[in-house]
Amino acid sequence: MPVDNSALNRRGESHQQVVKQAIHWLLRLRNNATNSRLRQQCDVWRAEHREHELAWQRVQSLQAELSSNLRAVPGAQVAFNTLENSAQGLGRRQALKLLSGALLMGSAAWLGKDTIGWQQWTADFATATGERRGFQLPDGTRLELNTASAVDLDYTAQQRLIKLTRGEIIVTCGGASEGVSFDRPLRVQSRHGVFESVAARFIVRQDTDCTRLSVTSGTVAIHSPRAADGLPIQVQAGQSYLIDRSRAQLAPPQNMDAGAWVDGLIVTRNMRLGDFINEVGRYRPGYLTCAADIAHLRLSGVFRLEDTDKLLAILPHTLPVQLRYRTRWWVTLERQT
Amino acid sequence: MSSPEFAVQALYSSHHGWLNTWLRARLGNAADAADLAQDTFVRLLQRTERLELKAPRAFLRTIARGLVIDHWRREEIERAYLETIAHLPEAETPSAEARALVLELLESIARMLEGLKPKVRQAFLLAQCEGLTHKQIAEHMGLSLRSVERYVADALYHCYVLRYEA
Repeated sequence: MPVDNSALNRRGESHQQVVKQAIHWLLRLRNNATNSRLRQQCDVWRAEHREHELAWQRVQSLQAELSSNLRAVPGAQVAFNTLENSAQGLGRRQALKLLSGALLMGSAAWLGKDTIGWQQWTADFATATGERRGFQLPDGTRLELNTASAVDLDYTAQQRLIKLTRGEIIVTCGGASEGVSFDRPLRVQSRHGVFESVAARFIVRQDTDCTRLSVTSGTVAIHSPRAADGLPIQVQAGQSYLIDRSRAQLAPPQNMDAGAWVDGLIVTRNMRLGDFINEVGRYRPGYLTCAADIAHLRLSGVFRLEDTDKLLAILPHTLPVQLRYRTRWWVTLERQT
Repeated sequence: MSSPEFAVQALYSSHHGWLNTWLRARLGNAADAADLAQDTFVRLLQRTERLELKAPRAFLRTIARGLVIDHWRREEIERAYLETIAHLPEAETPSAEARALVLELLESIARMLEGLKPKVRQAFLLAQCEGLTHKQIAEHMGLSLRSVERYVADALYHCYVLRYEA
């Protein structure tokens, strides 16, 4: 059965969260094999949702497959030693000879050492959960990736295309210092639309069912989906649009600063606690939720993303809430008792 | 005359020599370079989508890079495996046929674990191959129990995505 990775189920859990929970249960049970209460709790979790059960079955069969493959290797520690030793060897060779791929290839091209040149190349960039990275592309464009994000770059003679496959990016293109002719448009494609600019700084955030485009300077044209008159929509600095597959709409003012993450911050103005916790959850592996009876509380402030445990620990000082750590991975925010 | 075979043929005649040289610089030997250059074009013939001919060399290089890594992985596994079983008593060393099967298994696992950070991979393998508890792994690797739990779970998640969602 195909699973839409980004869809949320009725409980507001993403597919990724469900899989991580299933893994968490598997590991807990493996380390406490005789604990029948834990097994019952796991059964309850599995029965809660069809998707829980599916993830559980898959995690179990994956685990069984891995361990039976590894056990088929005869000799004590042979599998471990071979895999560790060969992975180290392979890592060294890759580092030495392929120069770890596309990014360095790109800069070599920029320096004119490559016959193809930067006009035509492809590369992929990705970040893990909690990670943020910036890249200077050979054409002068600056690309920032937020947590759990991925892009594919595809530069051809006709266009410079950045495909956002997951997460959120900030693109700064066509700056005065660029010194590159704007003969080809720069396009960003998300699951929901295509945006084009010559010179601008803009944020593209791809969520489950829509993409948010926020322009902080310059202008960006929404090429798809088009306005009712069939023309591209011009988005000016300071504006934000919400785009789904069928239409693009001007977004109401946000109670969170769209681009603060690039400085490692969440900046909120009177934001719902439930929304805030969802936002913080993007930067943490595992499962972070907020009890329904406190989700409506509001908060404003500047929060540092570098350590989300510290960030969460601040909340009980300003709101009538308390944190419950079931594990490092599984944190619930509840009403203070 | 725009069949995929024709497109591959055109690519072959204009870029085969260049690809050979590129591969040879990485592999350090002409025979392997020739094999992998051949494999690269065979892969192209198997692709169903239209070929991207705007940047033929970047395109060929992407495919060839993957093949080079496969090739190195196979070599490294074989080397590491032979080194490991060299220490075993003779009665425990597998036959040539069994060896080929084992190498194939190890290769498939290694491919799955590729891209994991060394510590994550190591913690995961200690749990999977050696059946150590997380506490034992923590002591062995000098890590906190929490880190080990996170590493093992991260590795499983990585495998899950490859297995079911790639």
